[in-house]
Amino acid sequence: MASTFGEITQASTALTAARYGLDVVSQNIANSDTPGYTRQVAQQGTVDAVPGVPSIYTAAAGVGGVRITGTARLADAVVDARLRTEQARDGLASTTSSQLQQIETVFPEPSDTGLSERLNDFWKAWAPVANDPKADAARIVLLQDAGTVTNTLNAMSATLSNQATASAQILNQDAAAATSAATQLATVNAQIAVASATGLNENSLLDKRDSLLSTLAGLLGGSATINPNGTADVTVAGQPLVTGGSAVNVTVDPGYTLAVGGTSVTLTGGSLAAESTALSTTYPAYQARLDAVANALSSVVNGVQAGGYDLSGTPGTPMFSGSTAATISVSITDPKLVAASSTAGGTLDGSNALSASVLGATSTGPDAAYAALVADIASASSLAQRQAETQSAVTSSVSALQTSISGVSTDEEVSAMMTYQRAYQAASRVMTTVDDMLDTLINHTGVVGRA
Amino acid sequence: MRVTDRSATYGTLSGLQSAASRLSSLQAKLSSGKQITTPSDDPSGTVRALQLRATAKRYTQYAASANDAIGWLSTADSAYSRAVGLVQNARTLVVQGLNAGAQSPSGMAAIADQVDAISSSLIQVANTAYNGRPVFGGTTSGTAAYDSSGNYVGDGGVVSRTVGEKVTVQINQNGPQVFGSGSSDLFALLSNISANLRSNPSALSANLTALDGALSTISSAQAAEGAAYSQVQNQQTVATDVGTNIATQLSDIQDVDIADMAVQVSAANVTYQAALQTTANVRQLSLLEFLR
Repeated sequence: MASTFGEITQASTALTAARYGLDVVSQNIANSDTPGYTRQVAQQGTVDAVPGVPSIYTAAAGVGGVRITGTARLADAVVDARLRTEQARDGLASTTSSQLQQIETVFPEPSDTGLSERLNDFWKAWAPVANDPKADAARIVLLQDAGTVTNTLNAMSATLSNQATASAQILNQDAAAATSAATQLATVNAQIAVASATGLNENSLLDKRDSLLSTLAGLLGGSATINPNGTADVTVAGQPLVTGGSAVNVTVDPGYTLAVGGTSVTLTGGSLAAESTALSTTYPAYQARLDAVANALSSVVNGVQAGGYDLSGTPGTPMFSGSTAATISVSITDPKLVAASSTAGGTLDGSNALSASVLGATSTGPDAAYAALVADIASASSLAQRQAETQSAVTSSVSALQTSISGVSTDEEVSAMMTYQRAYQAASRVMTTVDDMLDTLINHTGVVGRA
Repeated sequence: MRVTDRSATYGTLSGLQSAASRLSSLQAKLSSGKQITTPSDDPSGTVRALQLRATAKRYTQYAASANDAIGWLSTADSAYSRAVGLVQNARTLVVQGLNAGAQSPSGMAAIADQVDAISSSLIQVANTAYNGRPVFGGTTSGTAAYDSSGNYVGDGGVVSRTVGEKVTVQINQNGPQVFGSGSSDLFALLSNISANLRSNPSALSANLTALDGALSTISSAQAAEGAAYSQVQNQQTVATDVGTNIATQLSDIQDVDIADMAVQVSAANVTYQAALQTTANVRQLSLLEFLR
């Protein structure tokens, strides 16, 4: 037994420990919905053993009691790293899918308003010209249908390039967001280093660090290394992005490739990888395919025109000018200039128009090129959507695992709260009892004979 | 596995979202009536639908061309019948002229006048027009195949209509193919007959042979026209059949089976409601509910 008041000191440490435990419970409950918050637990240990066996060999016994040894942050570094990997894949898959779905809206097929139906109408309009070559009405309808086809192509091309412009803005914004996250991470790293060296509670900083690492993984992929002092270093495709307290910028090169700290990198994960690929490869490819459709239309129809004669008997002139989807237009306005006849001399022959009317079915014409284009975007988009769905399921399950490890369970906190409450009550009772005993000793001992 | 507030919320939320997104995609299909709302819903179906739509459009044009061809051929057919009738009348007159060697010159002149009248009627028949174009004039841009004195002013052009996949039918016969060409054509023969009736009845028997020849030329041209007519009619039937067939196939690919879809939507609806209901009930529970 250390001293008369030893038990009071012990009970007092127990009260303090119970209150601290309750503090941590309160913090957990308060942050149960805070994104990135990791559950904490008060760690406590005994202060020396309560002296039991008096011995001259033991050192003077301490007062005993309980002390707070730390506040544990219940995160699993392996699961956190796994989640970051899945987030990088998810960023790539979901952004690729949304980019392709966006491109797909340019090709609203099968419908009554898509380019395919416009081309069908255009080819169909040649037959009435063939059947009645002298009628201006049929020729005017043909030229109007030709105009509708070129307007549709112009609009599709414009929509595609507008989408590319919008995607480029998003790419720049995301690159700026990545730079900002990297800079914040460097700042947090510096604070963690200080906290770790001075023994401060760094748990909230670590939460902040992990949430920034998640943001960076979703944007850029890359890999993170957690150092022994709690700071995190990030490299992207071999290039250091964040090293301790310093970070470099993520920038977009003119060709939509990305540079980390001025060095070009090829990303393999994250939404920036998908945006960069879409802008440098996907959009130009579909634009080129659409241009090929326009070019095929122009060359096929102009070939027909060149092989025939117009209503006045002179050789036909080109119907379309421009060879890209953006620039193609109808270059003849006089309906008589449609080369319906295949013989010179102004006869009412319609055989040239007749052969044009079935060109939609050829395997080398614009229709076939367009159908192949639609098939490609459809299957690419479909594949990307399936991949994104699969990846999303994987990410969800890892994310569920992560939140099940580090998330706050109200039930658990409430039962901990009860435990601390009871501990506090019991310690108070100890104090009351000791006080009672001392009262007996001080006020009621040796009072025999008092009045 | 520990169940925490966030992991439970996360799980129920993703379950709710997938149920809601399934319901909304099914409802989109049901309300639009389309199985394929974007190409990626069914890439191969989309391509097939594009091909079928193009074919369907071509067949509507084939049907329109076939109707136009039938109009042209009917016009030509009645012209043939009238021409045959007129030539037979002329033949009767020639036979009269042959058998009436004793007739007075004025009687012969009267017969000759009738032949002249027949000749001018035949020129009218030969100039029969469909939609402003002389049906025996080839591809001439003029309004007549023969001038008033029976000279051919059309050309040798071919008029055809495409009435089916790779089926192009010639629907015209030129004047010379029907009425003979050059100096031996029907109109020259009739004016020769007219002259012979007036001045040289002995040559009439040769004319009779030539007239029979002309009649058989017209008949065989009419037969060729009849063949074209029946070919076009066949193609009209084919076009109707193919059109129905394509409409069925297209509907199979791009249209929603309403009954099936309605069942699926109501199943998805039940799933979604159940998910909402359990979320509302389960998440109310907590240890706090039971502490006093």
